[in-house]
Amino acid sequence: MSGGIGELVYPGNILKNIRSNKFVCIIGPGLKRNDNLPNTLIVTRVGTLRFESPNTYWVDSLQKRYIPKRGELVVGIVAKKAGATKKQKVNINVGDAVYAKLLNTYKEMEPELVCVDSYFKAGSLGVLSSEGFVFSVSLNMAHRLLSIENPLLRTLGKKYKYEIAIGMNGKVWLNCAKTVDVLKIKEAIEIAEKKSDASILNTCKKVR
Amino acid sequence: MEEKPNTTQNVNLTKGTLEMKFMKKSKDKVLKLLEDEESREIYSKEITEEMKRAGNIVFIETSIFNCKKMIEGRLSFGGMNPEIEKLMTKDSQRLDEIERSKEKDISDIEMAKGYSSVVETMQNKFLKKSKKKFKKPSADI
Repeated sequence: MSGGIGELVYPGNILKNIRSNKFVCIIGPGLKRNDNLPNTLIVTRVGTLRFESPNTYWVDSLQKRYIPKRGELVVGIVAKKAGATKKQKVNINVGDAVYAKLLNTYKEMEPELVCVDSYFKAGSLGVLSSEGFVFSVSLNMAHRLLSIENPLLRTLGKKYKYEIAIGMNGKVWLNCAKTVDVLKIKEAIEIAEKKSDASILNTCKKVR
Repeated sequence: MEEKPNTTQNVNLTKGTLEMKFMKKSKDKVLKLLEDEESREIYSKEITEEMKRAGNIVFIETSIFNCKKMIEGRLSFGGMNPEIEKLMTKDSQRLDEIERSKEKDISDIEMAKGYSSVVETMQNKFLKKSKKKFKKPSADI
């Protein structure tokens, strides 16, 4: 029942000796404060326990269902149009793909999305061109693609001219200069899903 | 030293004195003191109870995005969308830093290895020399 860092943990496991920075500890998915015992955490998901210095804990799991979390960036397709005011005209139509940030996510309410940052600037958010193509990958794959050290997208960028939007919800929007490339890149991502990070790195090193 | 008796004096001032016009400021002070004391008394019991249960570590929930220090998922390559590529420079800088630190780590280890091998060869030289010095007369002759 020890459940050390880098080991497999199960729901119900209790983590003691939490490392904190000035009595603040940051917890990611798969962990909850244990109300029965002070200064301990309780695991809520099966997975590998991870720790990032100085005070961040989370559980890496292969979960399939997306649970929205505040601040995450997602790709989605507009289903309903509402809330356009005269002051802020919204140029979004039903059926458009958008890249948006989750503004607030409460258990009792529908999550809210925004396409501007706190300075009302769009930045990388907003409507995605209708020329693009939307497909799904597993949540785990989306997380792996978003890791800064993952070389796959960069390596593909050497060969193909494309733009991409990867949502934390496992939806991916892809737009290429050539239509054929869309299929090629999609296939590359699908193949990479079943490969380890090390073998992806090896394959990418061969591409020059 | 004179301050302390002053404050106690203020507390002990009679209601009638405090009601006087020129005593307005000290009246406010006294009221505030009393209020603070009251609230402290009220909350002190509750806070300790709560703290006993919760411990002294504050847990803040966050997204996995922050845990893994992920990049923004909107990317462009080969000049497909110049605006996005401009925004990506921050990430590529971070990547450069990571790679540089990795390279540096390796070179540090190699440096240490190289240095220790130099030390060894030097050591060997001296060892040989000292051995030779003793053997020379007998071996040469």
